Amino acid sequence: MMAKMKWLAAASVILVAAALGLTDWFHRMTFPRPARVEVIIKTNTMEFWQVLVDGVHVAAEEFKAEVRVNGPRTEADVDGQIAMVEDAIRRKPDAIVLAATDFDRLVPVAQNVIDNGIRLIIVDSGINADIAHSVVQTDNVAAGNKAGRVMQEHLQGPTKVAIISFVKNAASLLDREKGVREVLEGDPRIVRLDTYYVDGSEQNAYSKVMEILRKDPDVTGVIGLNEGTTVGAGKAIRELGLKDRVTLVGFDNSLEEIKFLEEGVLKATVIQRPFSMGYLSIKTAVEAISGKKVPKTIDTGSLVITRQNMYEEENQKLLFPFVRS
Amino acid sequence: MARLRFRFRSIQTHMVLAFTLLILITILAMSIASYYMTKEAVKSNAQVYTAELVNQVNNNIRAYVNGMKDMAELAAGSYVIQNFLSVEAFADPEEELYYKEIISDFLGSMMVSRTDISSVSIFGYNGQFVSGNRDLELNPHIDPTALDWFRSAREAAGQHVISPPHVQPVFKDRYPWVVSLSLELSGKDGTKLGVLLIDLNFSVLNDMLRDIHLGPRGYLFIVDADGNIVYHPQQQLIYSGLKTELIERVLETGSGIFTGEQDGNRRMYIVKDSGFGWKIVGVAYENELVGNQRQIQLSIFLLGIACIVIAAALSLFLSRRIIQPIKRLQKSMQEVEKGNFDIHVPVSGTFETSKLAHAFNIMVSKIRELMWQIVQDQEQKRKSELNALQAQINPHFLYNTLDSIIWMAECNRTREVIQMTSALAKLFRASISKGEELVPVETEIVHIENYLKIQKMRYKNKLDYQIDVDDSLKHYQTIKVILQPIVENAIYHGIKKKKGPGLITITAREEGKDLILRVSDNGIGMDRDTLRALLEPAPPGREGRGVGVRNVHERLQLYFGKSYGLSFESTPGEGTTAYIRFPKIPSAMGGESA
Repeated sequence: MMAKMKWLAAASVILVAAALGLTDWFHRMTFPRPARVEVIIKTNTMEFWQVLVDGVHVAAEEFKAEVRVNGPRTEADVDGQIAMVEDAIRRKPDAIVLAATDFDRLVPVAQNVIDNGIRLIIVDSGINADIAHSVVQTDNVAAGNKAGRVMQEHLQGPTKVAIISFVKNAASLLDREKGVREVLEGDPRIVRLDTYYVDGSEQNAYSKVMEILRKDPDVTGVIGLNEGTTVGAGKAIRELGLKDRVTLVGFDNSLEEIKFLEEGVLKATVIQRPFSMGYLSIKTAVEAISGKKVPKTIDTGSLVITRQNMYEEENQKLLFPFVRS
Repeated sequence: MARLRFRFRSIQTHMVLAFTLLILITILAMSIASYYMTKEAVKSNAQVYTAELVNQVNNNIRAYVNGMKDMAELAAGSYVIQNFLSVEAFADPEEELYYKEIISDFLGSMMVSRTDISSVSIFGYNGQFVSGNRDLELNPHIDPTALDWFRSAREAAGQHVISPPHVQPVFKDRYPWVVSLSLELSGKDGTKLGVLLIDLNFSVLNDMLRDIHLGPRGYLFIVDADGNIVYHPQQQLIYSGLKTELIERVLETGSGIFTGEQDGNRRMYIVKDSGFGWKIVGVAYENELVGNQRQIQLSIFLLGIACIVIAAALSLFLSRRIIQPIKRLQKSMQEVEKGNFDIHVPVSGTFETSKLAHAFNIMVSKIRELMWQIVQDQEQKRKSELNALQAQINPHFLYNTLDSIIWMAECNRTREVIQMTSALAKLFRASISKGEELVPVETEIVHIENYLKIQKMRYKNKLDYQIDVDDSLKHYQTIKVILQPIVENAIYHGIKKKKGPGLITITAREEGKDLILRVSDNGIGMDRDTLRALLEPAPPGREGRGVGVRNVHERLQLYFGKSYGLSFESTPGEGTTAYIRFPKIPSAMGGESA
């Protein structure tokens, strides 16, 4: 009788344990813990980044991820961004999505992310190390090529072209410059092709272009490698009344750039798809977390917007995005 | 291992397993059925709900569009506007300003309390522009006549044109997202005068549509008659090619429901034609229609587990209840196996087991009976063996007697031979008695008389005898040949060894229910040891003396019980007396009863 009681007790213990285990497993299968993703962007003040974050939130909702978005006040605040990444690592997320403000200086902290077993997804701007699980960005060299080709259409030689870069060591800007140079350096009409840096400030870009155009009337082409430099250059050209003589080709879009396009100050702007970037970075992060194989690089593409095509339906949505309030 | 196998072969285990399995299957089937039924019910509810929602949205949008149409009708019918537009150039700028103010007020008044309307303006073919909002200026870099809404109004010639949502660049410094209603204005004489533009804030629609969720991921989108997406919550993704919609199927479906599969998800599309070219489409993820599908699954699963645990416990309990009487029965059977037949299993438990117990009890009592029978038979067998023993006595005596007869015949003692032979014949007649064991005492007396007669003839004057039995006792029954061995013993061991003649006296008396025959001799008697040895079983191989006496004693005891049999009294030198005790059995009820 004792043995039987023991047998019974053992059986019921096993049964209860099995039931509990099964329930737990079922519960986990049923209500999976949402992936936690830290998103660190370059800055949270510009429209480009707002649209990107919009994409992040749409994807987070769709793929059931918990996201936390952070970014320094200015793109030049590399130290601030490094501190933010370190902070994010301490919170032990499943993945970090990073838009690096500096090509080189973010490398150690990015390595730290990997070393902590956190998935790293690079968005928009890469780092000088091939350690990220995936890089979601515009093919900036190709975008640079496009800008260079638009410039070629408008140029009559011999002439000088100025490339205005926002900061010195950002991968996206380096790639764009490379793309522009690939096209323009072979052009015999261009006698001089210089790159100027403006220290992450639109105001500096404005002053720098004013200075260049005043000093050298042979400069008939200006390429702004991002929104800040493009708007700064546009303001200078408008102020100097040189819109018919100087061809400005820019990158990205903002209301000011649109006005410059309508006015004819800006001949074309190469726009990216920040919404897609934000969306795909989260989608890729969630896929990487769940153990799926993710592509090493994802190109979100770029488009050339001119005065003529800016109100076409598709382009409208990219140029005038609804930013979530 | 063997124990385990034994356990798995026990009825209880079988029953528990069978019960549990049965219940498991039942619960599983029930759960699955109820899950799917619940799911279907919830799904159809969700379908109805979604369709209602789509209808509601459709009504809201129509309300907006109809509001715009009403305004357009009002403006189109305005003489002031017609007059103003029909004037190619005002001579008096004052007059022009006056007209503009009146028209602006008129248009402005239509916008009052209509927050959904972004602007109401007219564009004359002669370059006139008046807006209901006086702050609005034209964008110097944009040519209104090149814009879609202007061109299509012109083409539609007096019909309303509703544009897809677009950025309205026509006003300076403003780039609102609007849905435009444009209408070509004409005078009473039919001259084309200009275009009326009413812009509806797209954010109104956007806000309305964006907040509509059909389940966690479901959404709503709108396409126009050409399949252009008017509104989609993920418009950005659609333009980037990251998402596609089943627009062709939506266009094929006038109003109705279809199910499509995309990105590995089954989705339900509920299409509603708005009546002015747009189609409102509700998209619901089929696996989300049942909002708490997982919860239902989990609760059904947990319920199932609880049921199984309860079922297992219950089946354990039930099977124990059924098994317990069987086990009790089994225990009793083990007792029987050990040889204990004096048991009785309590008849309780279920009908079948009580029947079984009952049958078992009957069986055991039968066995008991049979065993008793066997004991009886064994006894019977022993009796017949004794009968055989008894038969052995006679030949011994017979050849002694025949020896005597031969001896007498040789001496020509014919008379004596006749006497002896006659006595022998009588003796045998008395002893044969049709093979029955019980005979009347009288027969036994006849028998012993003849025997003594024969012996007297053999021993001449050495032996004398005296038989004194009351006639009233002679009808009692006794087993046969009980006197002869005792008399024989008295002759051979008492009188024969004595000097001088011996006398054997046989008497009988009653003692309560018993009858006692007394055989006494005046022979040499026996000492105490010899007397005791007389009734004890003879050591094996040494028969002879006392065989007959013991045989009588055993037969008496066997037949009548331990309290009957022989007893002796003896005084050495004086003689021995044997008492034969047996119950009085009248011959009338004489028979083989034990």
